[in-house]
Amino acid sequence: MNKDCHDFAFTDLDDTQELPLQRLIRHWMNERHAPDILPIQAELLAGILDHIHKQSSTVNLLRTDPEASGDEHFRIMLAQTEIERVKFVVRSYVRTRLSKIEDYARWILSDSSLHGRLSETELKHAQSYADLLTTHFEESVLKALPGNQRSLDDKVIPPMVTPPDITKPVFVLARRDCPPVYLPDGTKMEMKKGQISLTQYRVIDSLLFQDHVELV
Amino acid sequence: MALPQSLRTSVTPPELELIASEQLIDIVPLVTMEKTAFISGAYGPLRPPAKARVPLWIAVNLKLKKKCHIVPPEWLSVEFLQDRLSRETSNPGFSQLPFQFAEISKVILDIASDDLENPDKIRTLLKDIREARQSKSREGITKLDHSELGLSGLCSMEINEIRPFFIKGMNVLTKLIRDPEHPPNLDET
Repeated sequence: MNKDCHDFAFTDLDDTQELPLQRLIRHWMNERHAPDILPIQAELLAGILDHIHKQSSTVNLLRTDPEASGDEHFRIMLAQTEIERVKFVVRSYVRTRLSKIEDYARWILSDSSLHGRLSETELKHAQSYADLLTTHFEESVLKALPGNQRSLDDKVIPPMVTPPDITKPVFVLARRDCPPVYLPDGTKMEMKKGQISLTQYRVIDSLLFQDHVELV
Repeated sequence: MALPQSLRTSVTPPELELIASEQLIDIVPLVTMEKTAFISGAYGPLRPPAKARVPLWIAVNLKLKKKCHIVPPEWLSVEFLQDRLSRETSNPGFSQLPFQFAEISKVILDIASDDLENPDKIRTLLKDIREARQSKSREGITKLDHSELGLSGLCSMEINEIRPFFIKGMNVLTKLIRDPEHPPNLDET
């Protein structure tokens, strides 16, 4: 019983064995914990949605089959349960992104290098949401202010565009040995596989984008 | 349709349970089932009394309908947990446990305690381990600074538990340091 348990603690971190659903769950958790909007996992999401669709139509087909035995019903029930589980993950992932897109709509639009992180639909939504917000601000307050104070983009302090708080601390788990990063106090940190740290998001964001780490 | 405010700060324990339920576990099925393709992968065939490896959520589903017995993982036994508890109390670091041990053990204890040997003893041991580890992670607070805190060995549910307080604490320390290169966010959060 005293054997070393390193194996079972981190078996799920192997890239080659990671199945699409596990990957989606990982990206869902990353998105939930990161203060910033992360790149959309478009291909992965499309694959999973496709799979849900196929599985649903198989289930519906089997359901209408009068020949189906009890054993068959039972498989249908399990498949149905899984579809609901996966749908929950997909929905939560998309909604998490949506909440960030709405919070930071104007910030995202102001920097075209961020546009690639969003899907086409998300970007469209950000645009129309930002437009609505601008109109609302203008109608309710800004038009009553003196002309030189009406702008929403002026580079004054505090800035009128809210960026995400990238100094927010996050819990990071290294999926493999990582290249060094620099901590806020100037020291160098090289995360070893399996290491867990609490540190500011901006310290590890590059590692996160390269899938070296995940947020837990 | 955006994520509700209550879910934005942290993940909830039921969500962690949902994630942990993807982990594979051995069962002894009491019904036959052909190999079936699921979204997460293909499982089966189930042929009693041969053991089969399925995700925890399938095991739970079958167990609730009395269609299988769950084979508890090696670490969910009195012997193993006793050993972990003694390490936990004698060493300063966190002893190695499966990352999702809290979620998995809860699910199994809730629905399949009859498949465990001595479930009451296991419950007590898990509680003792939890408390020993909790006091260690609370000690971690004293080492908190604005930069980094190593928490290796901590498990997912434990991280979730300390998250709000640790994040808030570190945030305050960050504001106090006032890194001149990164002026603190002036919007009040």
